[in-house]
Amino acid sequence: MIEFVSGISVVCFAASYLVALACEVSRLWFRSGLRGAAMVGFMAAGLLAHTLFLVWRGVNEPAVPLSSAFDWYLLAAWVLAGGSLWLTVSNPRTPVGLFMLPLVLGLIGGSQLSSRDPFPQSPATQIWGAIHGGFNLAASVAVAIGAISGLMWLIQAGRLARKQAPLQGFRMPSLEKLSHTCRRTLLTAAWTAAAGFVSGLVLNAVNRQRGLLETVPWNDPVVLRMGGLVAWLVVAALMSRAVRRRPDAARTRAVLSVVSLCVLMISILWGLFGTTRHGVPPVEMAQPTARGALP
Amino acid sequence: MNLAFVGGTHRTVPLALRERLAFSTEQATEALRRFRERFPGREGVLLSTCNRVEFYTAGENDAVPPLPEQMVSFLAECRGIDAHVLRGVLSGESDGAAARHLFSVAAGLDSMVLGEPQIVAQVKQAWSLAQQNQTAGPLTGEMFQAAFRTAKRVASETSIGRERLSIPSIAVADFARGVFEHFDDKRVLLIGAGKMAAETLRYLREAGARDVVVVNRSAERAAALATQLGARTGRFESLAAELAAADLVVSTTGATTPIVTPELYSVVEADRGSRPLVVLDLAVPRDFDPRIGDRPGVWLYSIDDLASACAANRRSRQREIPAAMAIVEEETYRFMGDLHHRSTAPVIEQLRAGWSETGETELDRLFRRLPALDESARAEIRQAFDRYAAKLLHSPLASLRKESRSGPPHGLLDALKRLFDLKD
Repeated sequence: MIEFVSGISVVCFAASYLVALACEVSRLWFRSGLRGAAMVGFMAAGLLAHTLFLVWRGVNEPAVPLSSAFDWYLLAAWVLAGGSLWLTVSNPRTPVGLFMLPLVLGLIGGSQLSSRDPFPQSPATQIWGAIHGGFNLAASVAVAIGAISGLMWLIQAGRLARKQAPLQGFRMPSLEKLSHTCRRTLLTAAWTAAAGFVSGLVLNAVNRQRGLLETVPWNDPVVLRMGGLVAWLVVAALMSRAVRRRPDAARTRAVLSVVSLCVLMISILWGLFGTTRHGVPPVEMAQPTARGALP
Repeated sequence: MNLAFVGGTHRTVPLALRERLAFSTEQATEALRRFRERFPGREGVLLSTCNRVEFYTAGENDAVPPLPEQMVSFLAECRGIDAHVLRGVLSGESDGAAARHLFSVAAGLDSMVLGEPQIVAQVKQAWSLAQQNQTAGPLTGEMFQAAFRTAKRVASETSIGRERLSIPSIAVADFARGVFEHFDDKRVLLIGAGKMAAETLRYLREAGARDVVVVNRSAERAAALATQLGARTGRFESLAAELAAADLVVSTTGATTPIVTPELYSVVEADRGSRPLVVLDLAVPRDFDPRIGDRPGVWLYSIDDLASACAANRRSRQREIPAAMAIVEEETYRFMGDLHHRSTAPVIEQLRAGWSETGETELDRLFRRLPALDESARAEIRQAFDRYAAKLLHSPLASLRKESRSGPPHGLLDALKRLFDLKD
């Protein structure tokens, strides 16, 4: 059993998700009960392998479990994959996977470009590190779910405006439900991202005090992009509230949600390819890492 | 001939005659009772809906199904109609064509509204009534089970019955439901008392709508409709206020010019906030100026918009006909193959019995000559004989089954009878 679990690689669950996505895409051309079962089967198999992979890494990690940028991406992908499976099973006529699985695969792809080294932390900073990572994870998941809802809203609104009947097997949730999700995720993303940023500042201060990690300067790319992301999410949440009495409030929220994902993706790409002192121990300060920063 | 049917549908029988020919449940029960007395040993199932009356009959061996002329006379007698009148409009089929027809009927392919799902329930009721009245039997049983299987396959493997075809159902299911998740917290405003208002409201009620307000120029008509629909009334003079409070509007007035203009809606819009408004304008000419549909948060559908969606759905159903017919053909082929193979059962039984008898005789002789054999050795030898017989029989039986797929295997059956001296 241990041999089997240790043999699970990222390719195993990424391939499962990819096949599930192919099954989901095929619903645009033909209907089949077998296709739906195959899709759920591959998603469930991928999620199981994904879970076992994360558990294995958590158990065998010498430092704090799942604290590297690599693990962070995979955790975010795992949450979205779990949500996608749950929504697919509970709403079989809605093509949830078509929207969520590309994000899951994108996050898995992002993990491959990230550092697998855990951030060095003392017991005192572990809690702040977990809070920081946890809030950032929650913010990213909220942005992703909000963007998917926003995109679905725009597609559904487009169909209703063109006065077309829905395609078989391609039914979107109602505008009311999607708009409600957009509103809640915009708000959740804003406060969790802000909390993640503030906890990062606290973590930075504790690290500086303990001398475990070098201080991350205010103009570090990670600080700038996270600050920019938080600023955008707070503005988006405020705009969502400001337009709440206007007839086009739902459309505005949908667009804000989609734009938020674009901002998050820019932030992630900046993190993947930029240089940073975020999470770098003092000994490595002379050579700032080129990749592997958390969003 | 083992299977047959006689009947008429909306295509062949005029409505007035169809009304006279239709059977209520009690009348159908009486007709089946008479059938049992008139044609003992035969099986019969009577399917009577508003669009068709069909009598399916079956019989085996000497009890062949009644002739079509006999069945027409029987139906005429049951309903008190001149048999000459019915002969001109009723028709019939036998064997494979009868089975194919029933399968098409059950799958909704012969219905007035292509792919309508209610027919399969009506066929099941007809079958159930025949069972209760003891006119159902093994042949009709197999045929009707195959029909239900065909209907299920057509429903699951094609989308022929999925798209909606009535304007009110499309308006609610495809458009209003696309905007709203729940209807129990929405206010429905009914303007006017057009024909489609009640039907649309029925779908909205099914979706959960509770709060319904009826507005009409005539307060009396509004009150009458509200009583009929279990709704409350509003004043036509307060239309702007009612529109501001409504989430979904169904408008069916006979007004010759729009009763809701962009100017009126501008006043309403300010009071609505961000709540979306779905307008189902089922009136001709339209009650809502089409420019209102361009306002943010307004989803305006005229009867032409809904009719276009209807037509698209109808075309979509038509495209599924070849796939559905292929399933009907496949199931007919399978059913008839099984039916023909069933007719070979007596010959196979005789063949098996003959070989078994010969084998037993030889075994007895062998065991008498070899008295030292113990029970286990005897059992082994007996099993070897049985296996040998089964293997020898396998090829002719497989040939019979194969031949049955394309019709009754009379030639092979005759050959087997002559070769092995089997009696009829």
